[in-house]
Amino acid sequence: MQKVAITLVVNGEQAQVSVAPQATLLEALRYGLALTGSKQGCDKGDCGACTVLAQAEGSDERQPILACITLAQDAQGLRLTTIEGLSGPAGLDAVQRAFAECGALQCGFCQPGMMLSARALLDETPKPTLPQIQLALSGNLCRCTGYTKIYEAVQVAAGMREPSSRLPVPSERAPAEQADQQQKVREIAP
Amino acid sequence: MSEGRPRKSPTDLPESKAPTRPGGIGARVPKVDAAGKADGSGLYADDLSFPRMLYAKILRSPHAHARVLKVDVAKALNHPGVIDALVGAELPERYGVIPWTQDENALAVDTVRFIGDAVACVAALDERTADEALRLIEVQYEPLPALLSVDESREHPEIKIHERNKSGNISKHVELEFGPVDAEMASSAAISDAIYHYAGSTHAPIEPHCAVARVDGDGNLTVWSSTQIPHYVHRELSRVLGLPPARIRVIQPLLGGAFGGKSDPFALEFCVAKLALKTGRPVKILYTREEVFYSHRGRHPMRMHVRVGLDKEGLIRAVDNKIDIDGGAYSSFGLVTAYYAGQLLTGPYRFGTYRFDSTRWFTNKPPCGPKRGHGSVQPRFAFECALDEAAEKLGIDPVEVRRRNFIGEEVLTINGQRIGSNGFLKCLELVEEASDWRARHGKLPAGRGLGVAGSMYISGTAYPIYPNEMPQSGVLVKLDRSGRVAVYSGASDIGQGVNTLLAQICAEELGCDPRDVTVVAADTDLTPVDLGAYSSRVTFMCGLAAKEACEALGKKLREAAASKLAVLPGDVRAELGTLSSSSEPHKNISFAEACRLAEAAAGVPLAATGGYRTKKLGGDYRGGTIGASPAYSFTAHVAEVEVDEETGIWKVTKIWAAHDCGRALNPTLVEGQIEGSVYMGAAEAQMEDMVYDRRGLLYGPSLLDYPIPTSLDTPLIDALMVESNEPGGPYGAKEAGEGPLHAAIPAIANAIHDACGIRLRELPFTPARVLAALQARDQRNQIAAVSPQRTA
Amino acid sequence: MLTLPGLSIHRPTSVDEAVAALAAHPDARVLAGGTDLVPNLKYGMYETQHLVALRGLSRELRYVREEAGELRIGALTTIDFLARDPLIVEKLPALAEACGQIAGPQLRRMGTLGGNLCLDTRCVYINQTHFWRSALGFCLKKDGTACHVVAGGKRCVAAASNDSAPVLLALNASVKLVSPRGERVIPLEKLYLADGVRNIALEPGELLVEARVPAVAAQLKQAFHKLRTRAAVDFPALNLAVSFKLDEQGRASALRLAVSALAARPLLVRGLDELSGRPADESLGQELGRRAQAQARPLTNIAVDPDYRRQVLPVLVRRTFLRALRR
Repeated sequence: MQKVAITLVVNGEQAQVSVAPQATLLEALRYGLALTGSKQGCDKGDCGACTVLAQAEGSDERQPILACITLAQDAQGLRLTTIEGLSGPAGLDAVQRAFAECGALQCGFCQPGMMLSARALLDETPKPTLPQIQLALSGNLCRCTGYTKIYEAVQVAAGMREPSSRLPVPSERAPAEQADQQQKVREIAP
Repeated sequence: MSEGRPRKSPTDLPESKAPTRPGGIGARVPKVDAAGKADGSGLYADDLSFPRMLYAKILRSPHAHARVLKVDVAKALNHPGVIDALVGAELPERYGVIPWTQDENALAVDTVRFIGDAVACVAALDERTADEALRLIEVQYEPLPALLSVDESREHPEIKIHERNKSGNISKHVELEFGPVDAEMASSAAISDAIYHYAGSTHAPIEPHCAVARVDGDGNLTVWSSTQIPHYVHRELSRVLGLPPARIRVIQPLLGGAFGGKSDPFALEFCVAKLALKTGRPVKILYTREEVFYSHRGRHPMRMHVRVGLDKEGLIRAVDNKIDIDGGAYSSFGLVTAYYAGQLLTGPYRFGTYRFDSTRWFTNKPPCGPKRGHGSVQPRFAFECALDEAAEKLGIDPVEVRRRNFIGEEVLTINGQRIGSNGFLKCLELVEEASDWRARHGKLPAGRGLGVAGSMYISGTAYPIYPNEMPQSGVLVKLDRSGRVAVYSGASDIGQGVNTLLAQICAEELGCDPRDVTVVAADTDLTPVDLGAYSSRVTFMCGLAAKEACEALGKKLREAAASKLAVLPGDVRAELGTLSSSSEPHKNISFAEACRLAEAAAGVPLAATGGYRTKKLGGDYRGGTIGASPAYSFTAHVAEVEVDEETGIWKVTKIWAAHDCGRALNPTLVEGQIEGSVYMGAAEAQMEDMVYDRRGLLYGPSLLDYPIPTSLDTPLIDALMVESNEPGGPYGAKEAGEGPLHAAIPAIANAIHDACGIRLRELPFTPARVLAALQARDQRNQIAAVSPQRTA
Repeated sequence: MLTLPGLSIHRPTSVDEAVAALAAHPDARVLAGGTDLVPNLKYGMYETQHLVALRGLSRELRYVREEAGELRIGALTTIDFLARDPLIVEKLPALAEACGQIAGPQLRRMGTLGGNLCLDTRCVYINQTHFWRSALGFCLKKDGTACHVVAGGKRCVAAASNDSAPVLLALNASVKLVSPRGERVIPLEKLYLADGVRNIALEPGELLVEARVPAVAAQLKQAFHKLRTRAAVDFPALNLAVSFKLDEQGRASALRLAVSALAARPLLVRGLDELSGRPADESLGQELGRRAQAQARPLTNIAVDPDYRRQVLPVLVRRTFLRALRR
């Protein structure tokens, strides 16, 4: 099959991908770049699972768009953020952390798209009201949660409330264990 | 395990318990797989890819009913990029989830029975090529008359959808009567008698079905599938492929939603496996959204003629339900559906007498199956509406009539099911208070209303799908010298969070940090069998199995620690990675050290297994075990609606849902199950409907045309938990994933009645239906106004 | 995956290049936001080999400006922008309302006004996969000869389903079309034809580049309403827009009422001139509703029951009129 070489800017990196001329951005991400975090739920723009953020040249806003109905060739020139690019060296983005801690992730399949929509909302509106959250997420279908814990997670990410679930403290291993390991090392050392 | 205990009153339930230890039972621990799902690294079936992998596509029937005379794949095989093809004759063995009703073929052998039935399959280098090749397959059909409704199937027994079927187009008929229904009905003070129609709806998980197969150099087959029943898929693959089960491995990767829609073996699993065996290359099939709709197994359309008779106190004297079930083209779980439609109605209220006559019919439409609340959501809707209507005739408040009929705890239902704990009254009380029912029901301004409903559901079934004496669920727990705990569980985490519960049970019993638990799940080579995520059985059965395994190991760890710390084993407290003396907390060792000491003491690696063994339950009559569960959950909902009387457009603004889950092992996850259930129930009331044209063609098989609610359509949901402490459950727990769906629909219907005085008996409650009902109401009122003798 | 057919994608960087590409490939389809075109291509609804992608024209065709007594909106202005732009919200609130109710947030960011105005007609029997349509036996609009909506129908009645059209019709907008032969400006109502197969009067090589609304529209009372099954990601089951001038005595004139999601062309309700000068009140709203109902004929091309749509139309018209009045 005839292929074309295209250049995409994804998660801050420039990537050359060889795709069929009619390939969608979702195909390029999932098959070409192995960024499988963007999900395919309907493949025709109805469900929002493939949502990625796109920043057009000259714009300072990251806008949520649907990768399954964006042609890969036509996505050249956009700065793209996928779910894999939302977290950084410091770990999960506040939105990702909040989704994990609020029980907003059940099956998790719609959530990469949902979290990116939430990120775009918070970029623009740091302290959103409930109707603003509902509106911003209305293009991402979730079948598990009834959306309730998702709203909670967005509010947590916005610093407006505490998450319902938390990892137990202490988060580090017990001191006894560390001492014990050192002891072992001394025993083995000649 | 302790037997039931007396309580002062059924609402006198223990307060919701604080977690016993950090990360243990009752703790709101984030899910163990949450971070991997949050950062996009978690792998679902379609995220798997292997070198030389082929992509296969399935050709589907454009006829609702036809004989397949010829399938010729020669041209497709010649298409560049096509590697192989598959036809029905290569997989002639029939399969089906229920051993007694196996009537499906991976690809049609001689007959297609619905539009979308699988006919042939092509494997190619990529999906585009496979799609092109499908159009090159030549199929000769001899169209047969299609039966598209229950009535057509009844009226035309001569047109048999399944030629081997003994009784025309009846998939299953069940008729059971408990007590003299007719006599009791005749002497009832108030009777509600009406016909209800429940529309078909489908699961619509956001992840479409996907399967990948690979054969290794030794000829062993591995199938990764988005299934919620790896064990049954394993069994059926073995039978259909004619391979020993020991050479087949089924793995369930992360699963993107199921709700019952992935609890049958499906064509794609057999096709990828066979094609991998034929080509020696990995093969993947990802269903399109349209194919997900045709695979269906969703909620059965039901027509229910329900009669409910109350005595003058409002007590239920008689319930009679005649049910016709539109099953679609294949059996699926249909045998069970026909039973569940009747067997699961007999709580939380005491029935004086009860009869149901339930018939599941084959029709030439995509097969129905188990959708969340399998079989019982439809009759529950009809019954709870009928109960309201009958109570209204007696002037009894809807909450009050439900309270009066409460069946109690530690009792047998009329059909012989044993109810243990029962927090229904508490549920009712909570939603009554939360919704301010007494001040608001019947008193809201025109167009606004409140409605209540209750329900009951099973926590697994007493009967495994195929008869055997082995445990329904098994867990293996292994401790490593590093302090890492590995749990091997066959159970399917389909998003409900069972893997997290397993880590919490380890934290509870062993005293480890829940983060130090690796859960290896749903891999038939590695994990003990669990029968699958259906009938709300997983938390209950897998939970008990895990508890059993962990208890054995926990004892060894405490003994080893006690010996080291020179205290009694009973004095050792294990918590979050440290084992310490309760009386002298400065005496402590790490969990890892306890593991090493215990392993040294045992002289063998530390591991233990646990299992859930099925108890004999249920009534002593044919079918008495179906619907018999080791524990029942209970739910009460109040819904608030607003109806625009001029357009029939209505909105459910809020649902308060209280659910008796026995014990919330992880309250965040339980709330999530309640909220998701309420959403899905409300969706069925609002907009979901599988509609077919006169050919049997499903209108709009897409997430655009089949509308599922967005955030803007979903009511605010207040999930309330009731903990009745089930004596037989793991730490007192019962199910929470399906029960809370049921009551949403009748609560909404009853709320619409409160808002504007109409009784809706057909789902979904489209604005068109609401408007028609409002107009009929106005007409009745006019007639009533001019004929005074009718206004008593 | 729903696979796309083989395509050549042309990526012009100016309107001139774009119309040259369109002229060179008469079967070419214009790709703007792609929100409707790409799903339709995946469903095999078009035979085209060529797409002319307009992203390179974004700077040229993305604007809202006041010029020559008109509000001029570039065809590539996104739906989301129009829903939220303070100038549009202030001057053309009905347009902002309509745009805010199109599809969902992502699609509004991708979709453009030009794309929405040129949206292909829709029908329950056409916006389906090739397999589905083959099981149906195809239809008039593509690959078949029969209409499944109107028995024996010879003209396709697939429905205009764009939410921006009724508003811009009510506001008396025009559109600027460019082709290699030059440009022309036509009233929006002349853009739409009564044939569902091809309901846009664009000539080969012609591109819609701008919508123009008379500046006076900002003085009009106006409102939009959309009937749909769910509150987002849904096409209209019925949509309508009303506009009128309100004088100091509370009388309405220059009444315009557009209703769509009926058949191929939005309906501009006729005979409203005779209502000019009547007091703008409930009874005028009712009269508008009666007239709309008499002229509109909902069909089964949309899944929501046509009888129901017909029944509620006057109610929706009356309420929308009153909402405009109170604005």
